[in-house]
Amino acid sequence: MRKMGYLSDKFSRTFTPFGILKNLFRKPMTLQFPYETLPPLEGYRGRHALDLEKCAGCFICSMICPNKAIWPAEFKGRRYPQVNLGKCCWCQLCEEYCPNEAIKLTPHSMMVTMDKESAILGLGEEGFVPRHQ
Amino acid sequence: MINEITSLLKSKFPDSLLNVVSEDKRITLLVKKEELHQILSQLKDTGFNHLSDVTAVDYIDEQEFELIYHLWSHQEKIRAIVKVRIPRESPTVKSVVDLWTGAQMHEREDHELFGINFEGNPNLSPLFLEDWEEIPPFRKDFDTRKYVKEKYYLEEEGYPVAKG
Amino acid sequence: MDIEEKEIAFSTVPFGPQHPASGHFHALLKVEGERVHELEPHPGYLHRGFEKLMEYRVHPQNCVLVDRADVLDPFSCELGYANAIEKTAGLEIPERGRYIRTIMAELGRILSHMTWIGVLSMVLGFDSANKIAWGDREKILRLNEIATGGRLYPCYLCVGGVRRDISQEFVDETFKALDYLEGQLSFYDYFVFKNETFVMRTEKVGKMSAKEAIDLGATGPNLRACGIDYDIRKDEPYEAYPKVSFNVITRDEGDAYARSLCRRYEIAESISIVRQLLNNLPDGAFRAELSPVWAAPKGESYFCLESARGEKCFHVVSDGSPCPYRVKIRAPSFLHTLSEFPYLAKGSTIADIPAIYWSLDSCPADMDR
Repeated sequence: MRKMGYLSDKFSRTFTPFGILKNLFRKPMTLQFPYETLPPLEGYRGRHALDLEKCAGCFICSMICPNKAIWPAEFKGRRYPQVNLGKCCWCQLCEEYCPNEAIKLTPHSMMVTMDKESAILGLGEEGFVPRHQ
Repeated sequence: MINEITSLLKSKFPDSLLNVVSEDKRITLLVKKEELHQILSQLKDTGFNHLSDVTAVDYIDEQEFELIYHLWSHQEKIRAIVKVRIPRESPTVKSVVDLWTGAQMHEREDHELFGINFEGNPNLSPLFLEDWEEIPPFRKDFDTRKYVKEKYYLEEEGYPVAKG
Repeated sequence: MDIEEKEIAFSTVPFGPQHPASGHFHALLKVEGERVHELEPHPGYLHRGFEKLMEYRVHPQNCVLVDRADVLDPFSCELGYANAIEKTAGLEIPERGRYIRTIMAELGRILSHMTWIGVLSMVLGFDSANKIAWGDREKILRLNEIATGGRLYPCYLCVGGVRRDISQEFVDETFKALDYLEGQLSFYDYFVFKNETFVMRTEKVGKMSAKEAIDLGATGPNLRACGIDYDIRKDEPYEAYPKVSFNVITRDEGDAYARSLCRRYEIAESISIVRQLLNNLPDGAFRAELSPVWAAPKGESYFCLESARGEKCFHVVSDGSPCPYRVKIRAPSFLHTLSEFPYLAKGSTIADIPAIYWSLDSCPADMDR
């Protein structure tokens, strides 16, 4: 009797992985990426945006950055911060310590480039202007 | 329980204990270098059978290293911290590999990063760094920023640009 | 018939850093046929010198960078550093901040264990379980994204509390995710932990007794699988753990299967802890405001916590300036990989090496710091 129980237990355990076949008829848990995405959230830490009128040129953002990714650059006769996205660690300390709330992180996160030079965000009329895709 | 341990240690090693601080579940001892191995062996017999860590701190103004041993007792749930000061010029200490096997790796890491010599450790070869020719890197007179700038960066108007 | 004595011919097999079964860790195996005689570990592929780099930065910068010291369980690193500095200064944190920190720490533990189920199955050749486990792990990464703004590197805990408040959306999504995960646990029991092949490959493999485990320096689920109940959440409670009730899971056998079962039951305990905390969340402030150049007074402190891998401790020495004088991180994976793994690998076969390595659950980033 005990041997029958052991054999039937082994028999059922060997065939249980075939129970997985019912997953053939279920919706897959993956999303086909360029066509379906999860909705982007408000507080996500993505690419920086600068408001040129609010910026006072104090460079607290440059002093607090842990990786020294923000450096001064000339634009329209004044000095503004310039961000090197290759060194940034996306920690949001520059937004937290800016006294005028001029530099912010937007949820945009799709950034691709093939050379290092275009990873530095340029300065334009509306603030930061990306030179990459 | 803590009072029994401190009175036992004070009776057995009256000269070596320089400072004893007892808190709720912790004892902190500052001992002299000569009887360090005997004190640790006595603590192991009292029940402190788990060695958490062997750390070193570099006090360059006083020209001394401070070695810290963290112990834990599974029976009584008490932590013991043993500190000892050794001179910075030629730092040598007896190893505790015969008491706890896990101490061998901790001492190997401290030897590579601080330059402290542990007598009795079977293998003190370098663990993380390869072909390292400078002084042990975690000492206070090794300047990391200067080393990185000279070896890996070109200076260009104050904005460092990577070589190559 | 005389049997001549021959010399045994050893060959060296690298268990290398590009192998999918080893992560960023290199070991040289001295084998004779299929039997392993000796294993020599070569760590150092991920050594970034955290402890020296943290002496040049102030506290907000350190809190943000330290969660790269253990990539698979980042909340434990941030919690340890913040608590060690606050203990040196005697700072008081508001109640809501403590509850939120504990909730995120337990979610990090569930995340680390789900990653571990996936990787152990992949290494044993069981790819289906790998993909399903990592698909379920996405639920917790989505919770991370809602609360903190990043999936893997949260940059969330700081000296003084937490950086952002949690919203009602986070609380609702967390309850839904916990219900889903609890249903999935019975599926994993049937699919992975009672699977004939999994049991055959992990039972009686990598066995150690309690005395050997303490001597080699094991902590965490590796030690609890040998029968010793050492859990810092019960022995030296910190944060909001005195206010919740949970069990400490121990088993007696000490082999790879016992370690796997310890971690599986810990996921269920963590789910119940998060539910208790979310039901009793207090209102109020979540952060004590400090300036970026705040300096801790002169002193030192030693803070221990229970991460997903074992006992993680932070020893911080402060000399009154905004940067710390010395920080030492006691990483649990350091002794698991460099002290226990060579001991357990002696005498086993080559096919058992990945099973032993991943049942010890070591993270190479945690080992090298």
